[in-house]
Amino acid sequence: MFANAYELIVFTLNYIGIYEPVNNTFKTLGIEYVLRIIIVLVEIAILFVFALLTIMFLTWMERKVVAMVQARYGPMVTGPRGLLQPVMDGVKLIGKEDIIPAKADRWVFTLAPFLVFIPALLIFIPLPFGESLIISDLSVGLLYLIAISAVSPIAILLAGWASNNKYSLMGAMRAVAQDISYTIPLAISAIAIVLFTGSLSTVEIVTAQNGTWFGFIPKWFIFLQPLGFVLFLIASIAEMGRIPFDFQESEQELVAGFFTEYSGMKFAMFFLAEYAHLFSVSAIVVTLFLGGWSFPYISLLPAALVPLVSLGVFLVKTYAVIFFAMWLRDTVPRVRIDQLLSLGWKIMIPLALLNLLVTGFLLTVGVFQ
Amino acid sequence: MTWITKNWTMVGIIQGLIVTMKHILRIGNRPTVTVQYPYQKMKVSPRFRGLHAVDEDACIGCGICEVNCPNGTIQIVKYKTRWYPQVNIGMCMFCGLCVDVCPMNAMKMTGNYETADYTRESLVYGPDRLLFKKEVKQ
Repeated sequence: MFANAYELIVFTLNYIGIYEPVNNTFKTLGIEYVLRIIIVLVEIAILFVFALLTIMFLTWMERKVVAMVQARYGPMVTGPRGLLQPVMDGVKLIGKEDIIPAKADRWVFTLAPFLVFIPALLIFIPLPFGESLIISDLSVGLLYLIAISAVSPIAILLAGWASNNKYSLMGAMRAVAQDISYTIPLAISAIAIVLFTGSLSTVEIVTAQNGTWFGFIPKWFIFLQPLGFVLFLIASIAEMGRIPFDFQESEQELVAGFFTEYSGMKFAMFFLAEYAHLFSVSAIVVTLFLGGWSFPYISLLPAALVPLVSLGVFLVKTYAVIFFAMWLRDTVPRVRIDQLLSLGWKIMIPLALLNLLVTGFLLTVGVFQ
Repeated sequence: MTWITKNWTMVGIIQGLIVTMKHILRIGNRPTVTVQYPYQKMKVSPRFRGLHAVDEDACIGCGICEVNCPNGTIQIVKYKTRWYPQVNIGMCMFCGLCVDVCPMNAMKMTGNYETADYTRESLVYGPDRLLFKKEVKQ
């Protein structure tokens, strides 16, 4: 099939019969690269719109799930079942005054929300949304994902420092401590997957999970790496900063943590980034452990349907993980900061190393082929 | 280390997850407790002390309610040739003493709690807004 979405778009344009004449016009002008740039820009626009719609849907879904757990209705008034609530929130946030505290560091204060938001969108680039639905199949995809998600603590620290407020600074410090201590088990349990696939490319990780054992058990890495899956899931929920580990916010202790001083659209940027993170981290969990877009017998479908069906499978799995994160958020209270750090350093890192050791040993002996 | 040897199965978390999942799937008797307030209203209890109401025929304008009001909320004013109480609910604490002392049982408190307004002046409820006529049962 096609390597990425670019080739898919080119193929579709060819199929309609537009690509050749347009390409020839550009060729005669001597600017073929412009067409490439246009197609890439279209891809980026589609991704951006998709990301924003997903984020808006997630804000609605979060409230609905919390409301269901707490025997409430949740948003009901705007639109059917309150579906237009995110739009109204956006209108409200745009209308708010944009306050910068008098003694804040103006430039850093303004820069920080963008620095949080842009990496959250950059994570979407190597995510395989479906068969040949990927912006760019990087050969270092997994490394890229972990590296980009490590940018957000810097931005959070900038936000907390520039606010010139002790609660913000404490929230930022806690967030950075948490992110650093949980990136390590996250990366180590991802390395165990890399040992299986021998590649960092997200597409190859997904294709390695194609097929079944005994005809019905899908070859997902969750069955080979149950401990790695649990560690990765806990670490990624901690990376997202969601409720069992939401030390960056902790409304009851730190007012709201690092974004106490933010208002209006800057505040919205932090929240959009948080939900973009929720989606992308769940997508990474799905890609690494739950088979990505692959599904048993998906290859039996007609080839034209495969990108669409695989996109559907991927979204269903991702939303299942997101639902789990929300469900966990509504169930578990926040842990203490010392419990968090001791869980990360004393329990999860040794367990992740043990998992890596056992995986490496079994692979060397030749138990898995 | 004792923590993990004791809790590695995460029984507590799983039990909690089961409880919340029962809520999500509505297993058992779990009615939604909130109401869509401006459109739906909850029933207030019969002795709830809301806005005042004065029986137009029973009230004799004696002023005992005015005397007894701890906050000095009530004033007797003239309205359509007779004297009736006027209540400033901006100062009222809804203690209900005016209802208790009324010799003619003309004063009562309704369940109306939606009394928010934009100005302080409009919180003064004159007889035109307080009076009601008791419907005589046949």
